[in-house]
Amino acid sequence: MTRPTVGFAGLTHLGLVSSIAAAAQGFAVIGYDADTTRVRGIVAGKLPVVEPGLDELAHVHGARLRITDRSAELAACDIVYIATDVPTDDRGQSDLKGIAELIERVTPVLGPAALLVVLCQVPPGFTRALAFPKARLFYQVETLVFGRAVERALKPERFIVGMADPAAALPPSLAAFLGAFGCPILPMRYESAELAKISINCCLVASVTVANTLAELSERVGADWSEIAPALKLDRRIGAYSYLAPGLGIAGGNLERDLATVLRIAGETGAEASLIEAFLRNSRHRRDWALHALHDAVLARKPDAAIGVLGLAYKENTHSTKNSPSLALIEALAPWRVKVFDPVVPASAAAGGHVAGAASAYEAARDADALAIMTPWPEFRALDPARLARVMAGRVLLDPFRVLDEAAAKAAGLDYLTLGAPPAATGALTHA
Amino acid sequence: MLEHTLPEAKVPSRVVIVGAGGFVGGAVRRNLEARGVPTLALTRAEIDLLAPDAAAKLAPLLRPTDSVLFVSALAPTRTAAMLVDNLRMAAAVAQALATQPVAHLVYISSDAVYADDANPVTERSCCQPSSLHGVMHLAREVVLRTTLKLPLAILRPTLLYGARDPHNGYGPNRFLRLAAKGEAIALFGEGEEMRDHVAIDDVAALVCAVLDRRSIGVLNIATGRSVSFRAIAEKAVALAGGGASVRGTPRQNPVTHRHFDIADCLKAFPSFHYLPLEDGMRRAAEQGMEPAR
Repeated sequence: MTRPTVGFAGLTHLGLVSSIAAAAQGFAVIGYDADTTRVRGIVAGKLPVVEPGLDELAHVHGARLRITDRSAELAACDIVYIATDVPTDDRGQSDLKGIAELIERVTPVLGPAALLVVLCQVPPGFTRALAFPKARLFYQVETLVFGRAVERALKPERFIVGMADPAAALPPSLAAFLGAFGCPILPMRYESAELAKISINCCLVASVTVANTLAELSERVGADWSEIAPALKLDRRIGAYSYLAPGLGIAGGNLERDLATVLRIAGETGAEASLIEAFLRNSRHRRDWALHALHDAVLARKPDAAIGVLGLAYKENTHSTKNSPSLALIEALAPWRVKVFDPVVPASAAAGGHVAGAASAYEAARDADALAIMTPWPEFRALDPARLARVMAGRVLLDPFRVLDEAAAKAAGLDYLTLGAPPAATGALTHA
Repeated sequence: MLEHTLPEAKVPSRVVIVGAGGFVGGAVRRNLEARGVPTLALTRAEIDLLAPDAAAKLAPLLRPTDSVLFVSALAPTRTAAMLVDNLRMAAAVAQALATQPVAHLVYISSDAVYADDANPVTERSCCQPSSLHGVMHLAREVVLRTTLKLPLAILRPTLLYGARDPHNGYGPNRFLRLAAKGEAIALFGEGEEMRDHVAIDDVAALVCAVLDRRSIGVLNIATGRSVSFRAIAEKAVALAGGGASVRGTPRQNPVTHRHFDIADCLKAFPSFHYLPLEDGMRRAAEQGMEPAR
């Protein structure tokens, strides 16, 4: 068949990246969102999300990408993806109202042969329950990674496609579209595909939790997790790309959503899922690493301490602050003066009268008794530890993600604290 | 997790201490009185909570604007009879508070409510007591939580120590007393067990902070730093001038440990910092350990 026209309904993070990637693959794409302001911004070249390479990609392939706030334009599509982000509440529970409304709005305008593909994170059973002809209804696992979304959208590892009859061939339009990406396509029943997405995230959380658990042990027994992790990655049973970097708990919203979904389903069905609760406990525990470290190193001794915080986003290369460890830390530092800097997220994201924004990383560090690098933004790697030491009032540097060179920081006279290694292993702690 | 219902600390109009004659109640009373907070200190002499008319006598003493600290208990609870008596005492207090509601209720529970293997213990750890003492406190918590509609804070202290502690439990109190007399400190096994010990002054300070913010919810009272009993014994000997000795004994029970993650306390009271064990034991030694009763 001729190249299908592909539509994406919902131009938040997932839909926007997916539609631009589809255009980049040479397909005619129609991106729809009911939010007129959002649509105007995208048309004007002001993308509402931050992703490395996304602006350039949109600029280069924009001619094949039509952005509209009129759902009727989706009638021209052979395939329409429901691609809006699904928000979660504080407990990680999905709010499916938005996606249900979007589907209700979109399906009446689709052509009689058009395919509907749900790309959002939905719980098992959601797709099959939709009132849409099952032969034209599909669920596709999205594997968007904040900060690496473009790379993953252009070169997916595989497509996981949920369908009513996995033994049947994919419709030609969908086969043509997915086949253009040159990766394996795995058809399966709807529920399997929906659970596959959750399974992927549970495996990632399991790896991170193992890393966090053993990193904490490393801190307490004089080991250094950064020496151990590379050895594990050379083990084929573990893998070179395994998530073994220790972190400050699970954040961003999507992993938390899937853990909450597993717990909910386990509760409803009686399945044993205490492992998931252990993941969440460990996540909560490690989230407070920086808070404990600051109290131990500075706050217990200096009631008028000033703290600098670099990074507000929950991870690098994103504007998202969902469940950000940095914001949680700042909130818990209310009695102290806190100066913050993030390359993308405004200081106003950190609420509280004790918080002041800084124009640069060095300004955030100026006169600080302790500096915490809470988001591993690439540009923080260029910071000069000696210059930081000169502008800071104290010596304590929290660098959980090892953004700066440890030896250089110590040479600059800073007390370097990081995840996975005890303070003793990184030099004696001298309190400010 | 503790939640403050008052945005800023405000001295309570009056604090009624039910159990003011005990180790914790006395320490809180001294702290409150030193700050000029009006208190009504009730001991067994004023109201015997096991008496049939306990609730009837307590209720008229309460005012709607009072904060009540319920700290009276027969402790440690070692027998079924003590368990029943402790529950009767809680029932009397609950009945009085149902008759005359107050502005705030603070209950001093215990970390004995948690499962023995809940490490590190947080306020969300599983409550699965293995001792009658833990069962008693958990049952009292449930009585107060389910039968009263009052702003309620439940505080769960771990092992306490201080010069005035009438108990002589295995740990800093007993070790300081033995060391002061130059007597040998016998450890269970080699004293490998790690435990968290809190100075009584810190307990009083946190209770007062909870009263001042009219906080509700659950908060553990623990320093977040566990130390082996051997290290505590050796510290006690050193504080006494080194005349005493520390010796191990054949181990009768498996080694268990207890650690706390005190992030909730750091968030609830960021400016509060616990006295390090060494400083607290030194303070107790300097004050002179009173004889155990």
